[in-house]
Amino acid sequence: MRAFAYERPTRLDDAIALIDGHGPDARPLAGGTDLIIRLRDGSLRPRIVVDVKGVAELDAEIREEDGFLAFGALTTMTDIVVDGRVGRDYPALAEAALFVGSVQIRNRATLVGNMCNASPAADTSPALLVYGARIVATGPSGTRRVPLDEFFVRSGVTTLARGELVQAIELPRPTGRRGSVHLRRTRRRGHDLASVTLACAVTPDGVTRLAYGSVGPRPVLVLDDTGLLADPTAPAADKVRRLEMLFAGASPSPTSMRASPQYRLAMLHVLGLRAVATAIERLASGASQ
Amino acid sequence: MSSNHGAEAGAFGVGATAPRVGGLERVTGRQEYVADLPHGDALHVKLVTVDAARARVDVIDGTRARAVPGVHLVMTPADLPQPMPRFGPQRRDRPVLAVGETKYHGEPVAAVAAETPDAAEEAARLVEVDYEELPAVFTIEAALATGAPLVQEPSLRPGDPLATTNILREHRYGWGDVEAASNQADVVIEGTYAFPMVTQFAIEPHAFMAAPDGDGIAIWSSIQHPYWLQRVMADLVELPLSKVRVFAPDPGGAFGGKQHAKYEPLVAFIARRTGRPARLVLTLEETFQAVRRGAAEVRVRAGFRSDGTLVFRDIEANYLIGAYADIADRTVAKGSYTSNGPYRVPSVRIVARSVLSHTVPSTAFRGFGNPQQIWAVESNMDEAARILEIDPLELRLRNLARRGEAFIPHETPADGDWAASVSRAAELISWGGPRQPGRGRGIAVGLKSGPTTGLSYSTVRLLGDGSVVVYAGTSDMGQGARTIFAQIAAGELGAPLEWVTVVMGDTAVVPYDQQTSASRSSVLMGNAVLAACRDVQSKIRTMAARLEGLPDDGIMVDRGEVRIGERVLPIREVLVRGLGRLGGEVIGVGEARKEADPDHPLGGTSAFYEFNCTAVEVEVDRDTGDVTVTRHVTVSDVGKALNPLQVRGQDEGAAIMGLGHTLMEHYIFDEAGRIRNLGAIDYRIPTTMDLPLRMESDTVENEDGPGPYGAKGMSEGALLPVAPAVAAAVRDATGVVIRDLPLTPERVWRALHPELTGAPEVRQAIEGAR
Amino acid sequence: MSGMNAMGARHPIDLTVNGQRRSIEVFAHHTLLDVLREDLGLTGTKECCLVGECGACTVIIDGRSVDSCLVLGVEADGAEVTTVEGLAVDGRLSAVQRTFLETGAAQCGFCIPGQLVSAHALLADVPHPTRPQVEEGLAGNLCRCAGYEQIIEAVLSGADLGSSTADDGRDQGRLSTPAMGDRSATPDAELAPQ
Repeated sequence: MRAFAYERPTRLDDAIALIDGHGPDARPLAGGTDLIIRLRDGSLRPRIVVDVKGVAELDAEIREEDGFLAFGALTTMTDIVVDGRVGRDYPALAEAALFVGSVQIRNRATLVGNMCNASPAADTSPALLVYGARIVATGPSGTRRVPLDEFFVRSGVTTLARGELVQAIELPRPTGRRGSVHLRRTRRRGHDLASVTLACAVTPDGVTRLAYGSVGPRPVLVLDDTGLLADPTAPAADKVRRLEMLFAGASPSPTSMRASPQYRLAMLHVLGLRAVATAIERLASGASQ
Repeated sequence: MSSNHGAEAGAFGVGATAPRVGGLERVTGRQEYVADLPHGDALHVKLVTVDAARARVDVIDGTRARAVPGVHLVMTPADLPQPMPRFGPQRRDRPVLAVGETKYHGEPVAAVAAETPDAAEEAARLVEVDYEELPAVFTIEAALATGAPLVQEPSLRPGDPLATTNILREHRYGWGDVEAASNQADVVIEGTYAFPMVTQFAIEPHAFMAAPDGDGIAIWSSIQHPYWLQRVMADLVELPLSKVRVFAPDPGGAFGGKQHAKYEPLVAFIARRTGRPARLVLTLEETFQAVRRGAAEVRVRAGFRSDGTLVFRDIEANYLIGAYADIADRTVAKGSYTSNGPYRVPSVRIVARSVLSHTVPSTAFRGFGNPQQIWAVESNMDEAARILEIDPLELRLRNLARRGEAFIPHETPADGDWAASVSRAAELISWGGPRQPGRGRGIAVGLKSGPTTGLSYSTVRLLGDGSVVVYAGTSDMGQGARTIFAQIAAGELGAPLEWVTVVMGDTAVVPYDQQTSASRSSVLMGNAVLAACRDVQSKIRTMAARLEGLPDDGIMVDRGEVRIGERVLPIREVLVRGLGRLGGEVIGVGEARKEADPDHPLGGTSAFYEFNCTAVEVEVDRDTGDVTVTRHVTVSDVGKALNPLQVRGQDEGAAIMGLGHTLMEHYIFDEAGRIRNLGAIDYRIPTTMDLPLRMESDTVENEDGPGPYGAKGMSEGALLPVAPAVAAAVRDATGVVIRDLPLTPERVWRALHPELTGAPEVRQAIEGAR
Repeated sequence: MSGMNAMGARHPIDLTVNGQRRSIEVFAHHTLLDVLREDLGLTGTKECCLVGECGACTVIIDGRSVDSCLVLGVEADGAEVTTVEGLAVDGRLSAVQRTFLETGAAQCGFCIPGQLVSAHALLADVPHPTRPQVEEGLAGNLCRCAGYEQIIEAVLSGADLGSSTADDGRDQGRLSTPAMGDRSATPDAELAPQ
């Protein structure tokens, strides 16, 4: 691994100043499970690594706030997997977090890091998208909130401005009953990078939200408000046609070694149908909320 | 049997589940592998490579690299003896560093030695290599095409009629008359089956160290064959064997990939050049570029009578070996010689080619050339069963050679009750029993010949207090050889297991052993250890005779005891009295040979066969192509399980390794022949989450092997038939035949949905063969 | 950034390794794995894939298992680290170390330090795991010698020495056939419908 400078600021202002001051030469470090791999393979060569784990304003808390559940910048996948509130209200996120790497990786990898890397295959993105997540970013000119759907640009690129750090991710509290689920495709059952990753949420008003990743440069959120997908009695063939429209934007990479575009697209539909069915079941059998 | 022994001596004798010797070190982190050895003043070596499958190297400029503080040497081909020293177990074709042209992705063109790993890594990046990428061949088709670029210069193959092709060698075996037999067949089944390029993926990456040692040289290596390495090194550095000392700490997994020299010559030349110890620990990515198994395409044409009797087999196999021969051509020869399997077939023709390519040199890998052909022949058997409408189990049993049958002419006859293993596997999986919908069952057998030649020596010292030191040149790479030898010595000399020390891995101390391969060590070195123990026993007998004033022939020494008429004494008691005031020890030597047979196509007959039957049940998700192995039954004919716990560990480990190449493992190349999935992220092997839902392993033990107490070698068998068993189960569950490995979800899905994917309709192909 | 040279600056760190306080200086770009093996001489922690896939380098930091190849040495400043060398206490093997010996779980042994550390971390969280929980807990530790069965048995019997529950998880938790990407070990609470 190439040498770099290392700083561990204790105040958010100092962290932002470092990130802002060094611009593209700086990389923030939280869990490090992606960053350190890329430092070693040389695909990232920062002059300075800013470890944000000492910043007083950043924490690993999952906090209930007014109208939403907030995940601190240092919240790890393990924290999410074991959190009862996440399991109860955002099961697709809990399921997705459990898919991220091994125990050792989940103990280190952060939810915020998973978003900031903006990998199209990130497992937690689809769940966060269907739950309407917002990014809380703080930079030299203050704090702003960005809907997650407006955060992703393409693989590795977000709308974060120079000097901005993500402080938290907020999920709106569910306003009623909801059935949701996360599904994915991998090459083996043990931890693996997803060749398709997908989340689905169905609400009693007949709206179905689907988000999918690993089939294009960024994860995509789509919505069916016709009531068709959420209707347990609708013919499967109609649902397939509806999904075809919703998935029209999927454009899997033709050069990936993990799966062919044709397989990914076919699996997107398989997972879509299965997820809709599971979400409907969960909605039907779920306790009121 | 063990109940006859003294309790303390017999508790962990052969046949018992003795705890692993060396186990304590392994569970406490104290076991030292090569990379763990103290290396205070050693220089750290980093390889310099170019990012191409094949390239002409024009200029190597180490100026900037040499300027990095701490760098001692930038070794280029020009810094090595001229002409470039070459080495290899079959042919001396591998250069210490690539000269003029690199032949595969990852072949080093230079190396840097520096005071720290950081400096070596930094400097390696700064070595400037001017190169031009050249067209590479990395598939069988491309390598055999007319006008294909030659991987090896014809000048390296003087007198070889194939020197102007990429065929390194063609092997032809067989008996009977296949052409004539073709007319006697009621049904002919034909198919071509592909086996992927996979890698050993020992969890310990290969590690090497060399140091000047007085007027000689010392080498440390994670090597399976330290004595073979010693010969190679002595030859390369022009020293007598006595001046080349090889230390071979227990490898952290090897699976064949650590049999032969790789970068030991390079670090030795660096050590001699710098006068300093030099050390190279490969990354996992670099091990993927150092060792792999040969890929293969195997065409099988088999003729049957309508009652299922095999009348002929015609097999043509092309193995994609790498740029240098390593031991690959031997894997082709050995894997082909027995590729007709354990069957009685009157006419057989086998043609097998070693095809050179611009890929990582393939080498030994558990199964040694056999899994590729077993995949083909056993899959073909399953297709035949379907077309003949004969149960696949019945079809095997009908054609299986019986004990003593010369199923391969002029070769060791069938040395086991193989039908017993097949029947046991069928029974364990409830072969004829009801199945859940969506599930299918498959069964397959695997046969592999053991060592064809061998030579092992052992020295056993019975020390003055009755404790024992065993010297054995085997490498204990996880198979548990150390434990087996300790068990033999403990049982024979009446010592508690924990009183036995087994010394391995130092050519200056331990007597010669030919190699650790072909599942030979329990048999060959085991017999050598047993013979050395018998030598000690005969000296104890003489001692007892002297003490008792009796003739030798009134005394028997066996299994830790001295029998003098009706009296039974522990060996130790006789020993202590016999040694007397001066003390001392009793030294025994043992030797085990498997003689060569120069007229035999393989240079010798098989010392024994490994035979395994695997039966599996799978569930297939038709929408996604997922294959879930719901049950996996593996039954090996081991002769005698010297340590049942270790036998189980080897069988289950081989089975899961087999599931790796069956379901997920393969190298993926880019369009220019570079390996895309280097490293652990995209080369997938099974994890704890990928196991069969139920694994059952069992053994057949008829004490009919040539090893101690009737043991046979057994460490490879359970891998051999995994792929055809799983594919047969997939066929049983879905009706679809797949002839390419691995059975990834996507490949299975494609086969299941030809209407979507345009995949060839294999079902029809099979019907057409009828 | 004063004191930087080509290899970067050294950072003083204090950490506790296997109960022992250590104060050392480390380069920022050296991983905790490098620091343990090269600076502290603790070679029980093994190096293999360096991408967090194989688990040979697993250690426990402040109660959680991590791949030490994906942690910088400087990040361990102030941390409590347990390596395989710290699993035996006062020369006495832990229960799982003993059961690894008894079940034949250790073959070549190279992955075993990581397997053992993961097993200890798992059992600290879930003292009596089911078989699926053990599979999930050890999925980040590759072994190429064993079929994992003996390792899993070792963890189950180590969890409850002398009890007969070791096999229970097999039939309770593995009746379904999970799809690729299913995690049958997902605790029920997390799958509960809303």
